[in-house]
Amino acid sequence: MAQSQQDTAAQDAIAAMVKQVLAAMNQGGTQPSASAPAQSSGHLDAKKDYPLAAKRPDLVQSASGLQLNDITLEKVVSGQIKFEDIKIRPETLEYQAQIAESAGRPHLAANMRRAAELTRVPDARVLEIYNSLRPYRCTKQEMLDIAAELENQYQAKICAALVREAADVYEKAGRLKAA
Amino acid sequence: MAKRQKRFEVLADRAVNQDGFIKEWMEVGLIALDSPQDPTPSICIEQGKVVEMDGKKRDQFDMIDAWIADHTIVTEVAEEVMAMDSLTIARMLVDINVPRKEIVRLSVGMTPAKYVDVLKRLNVVELMMAMQKLRSRSTPSNQAHVTNVKDSAPLLAADAAEATLRGFAEIETTVGVGRYAPMNALSLLVGGQTGRPGVLAQCAVEEALELTMGMRGLTHYAETVSVYGTEQVFVDGDDTPWSKAFLASAYASRGLKMRYTSGTGSEVQMGYAEGKSMLYLEIRCIMVTKGAGVQGLQNGSISCIGVPGAVPAGIRAVLAENVATVLNDLEVASGNDQTFTHSPIRNTARMLMQFLPGTDFIFSGYSASPNYDNMFAGSTHDVDDYDDMLVLQRDLQTDMSLNPVSEEDVIAVRNRAVLALKAVFEELRLPPITDAEVEAATYAHGSKDMPDRNVPEDLRAVDEMMQRGTTGLDVVQALAKRGFQDVAESVLNMLKGKVSGDYLHTSAIFDKDFNVISAVNDPNTYTGPGTGYRLEGERWDLLKNIPAAISPEDV
Repeated sequence: MAQSQQDTAAQDAIAAMVKQVLAAMNQGGTQPSASAPAQSSGHLDAKKDYPLAAKRPDLVQSASGLQLNDITLEKVVSGQIKFEDIKIRPETLEYQAQIAESAGRPHLAANMRRAAELTRVPDARVLEIYNSLRPYRCTKQEMLDIAAELENQYQAKICAALVREAADVYEKAGRLKAA
Repeated sequence: MAKRQKRFEVLADRAVNQDGFIKEWMEVGLIALDSPQDPTPSICIEQGKVVEMDGKKRDQFDMIDAWIADHTIVTEVAEEVMAMDSLTIARMLVDINVPRKEIVRLSVGMTPAKYVDVLKRLNVVELMMAMQKLRSRSTPSNQAHVTNVKDSAPLLAADAAEATLRGFAEIETTVGVGRYAPMNALSLLVGGQTGRPGVLAQCAVEEALELTMGMRGLTHYAETVSVYGTEQVFVDGDDTPWSKAFLASAYASRGLKMRYTSGTGSEVQMGYAEGKSMLYLEIRCIMVTKGAGVQGLQNGSISCIGVPGAVPAGIRAVLAENVATVLNDLEVASGNDQTFTHSPIRNTARMLMQFLPGTDFIFSGYSASPNYDNMFAGSTHDVDDYDDMLVLQRDLQTDMSLNPVSEEDVIAVRNRAVLALKAVFEELRLPPITDAEVEAATYAHGSKDMPDRNVPEDLRAVDEMMQRGTTGLDVVQALAKRGFQDVAESVLNMLKGKVSGDYLHTSAIFDKDFNVISAVNDPNTYTGPGTGYRLEGERWDLLKNIPAAISPEDV
């Protein structure tokens, strides 16, 4: 009985968190706030839940949906585990962001939320976008196009906002590619 | 002088007189801390936005000001802390009755000029006290450089294994020849896990390649992500705070730990210090890092240590920049990683500033190879200094995070690391490691004892390996297939660390059982005598017993 109650509670908590993940993705904006509620309902707690691998393995899955316990040496040797199976997924980064907030680190949490978005962008494209953000690489329009791509193709709203902000700053500072 | 005084003749020959010293020269930024041209602290906030900072209006902000104003400063506390007297804040830093938590709550509202105004009031002992109290992780640790001039993979693996056995929690390599990077990374990956499971390894090269190796699971973290304190130098470094922040998120998105790197003197060295003090410019770097949401920073002048080292109070400023980093609630990898003096006395004195209080990484590059093999231009201390360091720990009962080891254990672990790498090379179709190389690497002092490898053949094979898309999983398979089950398990566990993301938090390292130890679950709670990290119990017993010590029974 106690066990099944726990299971239900855990499932509810997971559902609440997924909601928050989605809400966070739709918010955009990167200004950290010290007054962000650290432990409102469903938020993970640095003292209780960290490290996730040891204290909340129920919450940790790889990008392909494997639990940590499923990733074993035998399975790697027999070729059942692919590199996809050992990548972090956005939900985990959201959980870690909540832990960072609960530990009083809103800036770190903001970075983890941008990272959660970038899990959806392929390696090669991440590298290209990074290079495009270097000084004098892009016109303002090219930067705005990257922002639109991040937002529309990868649902990366916070990252898109960062790129738009960069476009404005580079324009003012004269760090854009000559059109 | 017609006739020299004999004592002066002797002094002229002393090592310290081969060092370069320079008087303060404000216009080019050759001043350690507190330049008359440093701005006066100020802040003005309207509707939650910083509209004036350190005497500049928003429309005068350069890129770095803009980044700090919009991403770093927590406006909710800014007015409170900026209204406080700097001397009061300076005293809070060393007051055991003011908890770290309260200081960190306030510090995120301070402007760069305010940091300087606070820190310039502390002498070195007070700065050490502040470091002891404010560093993020309770347990201190260390990072080692593992490199050699030949890029000899077997030697890298053996050195990595010995370094981790000796207690380094992180190991860092770089290259002589650029294309060797993935092979060097692979050597540290295998050697490091052989010496002590759970050690983090990195390969410092150009940003994009470094990230690629991390994405492939060949490294565990990155640190060569440089930030600078003036806009011109930042742009000359081919980046902006926005590109670097994006890169930071890219690392975290692959579950990889990373920290930025900066340091006093870099802006002077690159010619655009704008007449500001080195500490003021460095604090801007620290605050760029904080605003990017990066968990930590390597500073303490790093590769520019010669610059602050040459001016008055330069070494004090270097400690102040380390303190400013932890005051920002960031991990600090606190330098002591580059030769800056001919004088062994100066060299050790400089290191005591971080060793005595303890930092997250006291050395951000103790040379685990002899200094002639150090491809980061030589560290302050190297393999030949190990026994001196062990004695310093024992003399002062202070933990440098180094373990006493036996010659037998070192031989065994070096040998096993090279054999493991040999097996991986064979499985991954890399040019073989010969029996002669295994033997030489096991017993080597440095690359002078190693046979040469066929460099063009190595490089071709490395390129092919990268084209094939080899990942950390292939390394796990190779090790397991060839009977190195425990090393395979360790490499796999490190990959699993990227799935859970626990080591993305501030000051994170792993113990030998893959438990993460970070500022979250091992926070620094120092509040004076009897609290915080203290070298006692089992760890002290271990460090007391250096091999050279004789027992009463032996007398």
